[in-house]
Amino acid sequence: MPLERARAGALILTFALPVLVMAVIFVLVAMAFFLSIGKPPVSTLVDMVMFAVGDSYSLSETLVKTAPILLCALATIVPARLGLVSVGADGQLYIGAIFGTAMVLAFPAEPTVILLPAMLLAGMVGGALWGFVPGLLRGHLDANETIITLLLNYVGALLVNALVFGPWKDPSNLGWPATVKFPAAATLPGLFGTRAHLGLLFGIVAAIGFGVLFARSRWGRELAVLKGNTKVGRMIGLLFARQAMLVMTLGGVLGGLAGICEVSAIQGRLQPGISVGYGLTGFLVAWLSGHNALIAIIVSFLIGGLTAAGDSLQLYAKVPAASATILQGLLFATALAVGGLSQRWRASGG
Amino acid sequence: MVDADLLAAGSWIAAALRSATPLLTVMLGETLTQRTGVINLGVEGEMLMGACVGFAVAATTGSPLWGLFAGTIAGALLSIVHAGLVLGAKANQIGSGLAVWMIGLGLTSYFGRSFVGGEVSPFLPLGAHLLHAPGLVRAVLDQITWTAPAALLLAIVAGTWLYRTRTGLSWRTVGESADVARALGIRPLRVRLQAIIVGGLFAGLGGAILSVDYTQTWAQDITKGKGLVAVGLVIVARWNPFLVIPTALLFGLSETSVLKLQAGGVAISPSLLATIPYLFAIVVVVFAQSQGRRRDAMPADLVAIFRTR
Repeated sequence: MPLERARAGALILTFALPVLVMAVIFVLVAMAFFLSIGKPPVSTLVDMVMFAVGDSYSLSETLVKTAPILLCALATIVPARLGLVSVGADGQLYIGAIFGTAMVLAFPAEPTVILLPAMLLAGMVGGALWGFVPGLLRGHLDANETIITLLLNYVGALLVNALVFGPWKDPSNLGWPATVKFPAAATLPGLFGTRAHLGLLFGIVAAIGFGVLFARSRWGRELAVLKGNTKVGRMIGLLFARQAMLVMTLGGVLGGLAGICEVSAIQGRLQPGISVGYGLTGFLVAWLSGHNALIAIIVSFLIGGLTAAGDSLQLYAKVPAASATILQGLLFATALAVGGLSQRWRASGG
Repeated sequence: MVDADLLAAGSWIAAALRSATPLLTVMLGETLTQRTGVINLGVEGEMLMGACVGFAVAATTGSPLWGLFAGTIAGALLSIVHAGLVLGAKANQIGSGLAVWMIGLGLTSYFGRSFVGGEVSPFLPLGAHLLHAPGLVRAVLDQITWTAPAALLLAIVAGTWLYRTRTGLSWRTVGESADVARALGIRPLRVRLQAIIVGGLFAGLGGAILSVDYTQTWAQDITKGKGLVAVGLVIVARWNPFLVIPTALLFGLSETSVLKLQAGGVAISPSLLATIPYLFAIVVVVFAQSQGRRRDAMPADLVAIFRTR
């Protein structure tokens, strides 16, 4: 079986080797960073791994972070299947949080079976709206979706502030800008009695669903055709504008779901700063996964671990949380460098 | 009465100019970068580096001028990461820009902590130098420092350089077609490296003007998307340094009107008002892009990066 072995070897060279090289370089870069901020590189790294998956509490905190990161990654991946570069998951998250919260504030006395689904649905509608707008502008006016989604993020965050500093502020909070605490009926159930919540399950189900759709369905193939060549797509009767609006809206649904799940399960109320850069982190995950929804599940877990470990490091080792942002940026840069270079080598090596 | 109106108008123009100066500087750099066919969303992070390092140096040395200088260098240093990724490793430009943004955001949040709440000695307003100027001129000069006219001058110099010199022509050629440029004996890689670093210098300077001169504060994520707005508005200014001036001023006017409305005690949430400049930027970007003409103005090699379908 020399041919099969050669093919397996090529497969390892194309996928496993770059990943391995990337991991090694990233570990070295991370250690250099720890050294530069005066922390022991090896033990800090070991601490991070322990804080990510070392015990059941750390693991559940990692899963808490995995949920919004995975949903935000999917909010990037779905438009990316059409070739669109959406960086708008943060804005969708905020608007989803607003719409879901509106439902809870309007019907606080309804039982769980009505309130919980209504809240989630409202959150998805809000996110969908925040995805539909740039999709519409891209599809019909050819406006760049990357810039517009980036700017809409700031609008989303400001709208949350406008509400929680204004009409939605709970006066009993003594000046703290936040809504009233969600009733138990509007609190997303935890998984296995931990802080990890149903949002994680939604993310995994969505990832599997979209993964299968992209790989196996007619729609997945249509997106691939349109991504490759709009003209060919039009010849066989596919409309780019319609698909642009569809994928952006679906991405928005997932971003909005991330927002309302985070508010309901983790924060318990709408307040500023519900997203600690989940949108951008999700974009990084989408990129690292090669825009593959199934791989995104695993990568989200890894990056969720990195984020959770960053929080714990701040608590126990007095390393500021911003270090997690720096590490994510360095990881992104490493991935881009290794990805770009390995593509170049492959091209030159035949 | 007429005098009062004129004074009010002059004060508006001055405020818009002051608020537009950081953005104008960043836009100018990004315009030059994009003219060579490279887009850099990382200017947001480079601007943050400029703002943070500029503020830190100005606060420590007591010299705002050293602050601007250090901020400019800091922006350029971070831009080298983008250059390395997109030119060295041929990485995706959008991805690389976002990575540079993350690094800049993380580094400035991390190392800027100790400077939150710090103070700098600002530049004197121009009016302080010209005590005997007539009323309207005073109304303008009292509100701005030398950075505003310097930025305007920089735009005019950059525009003249781009359209009237040989090196300007070779930058434009690289943006239209690296292949043609190479055939003409221009080295596209070197030009693009220079252009990315120039963009970094300008972004760093814009950030430093923002923190040292305009707001005179440092806070985490102080730019709040101004660098991203700049990348968008480059489209509106049609990659033309001269058109950067009115575009940045219009945006400055939108920011100023928000501040004036807030100061005037309008009963609208300040957060809601603060969305206006972003919405304004979105509207003008959409309008500019929906005009078919933009295809001619856009550097052809840049079109290839935006063309995702």
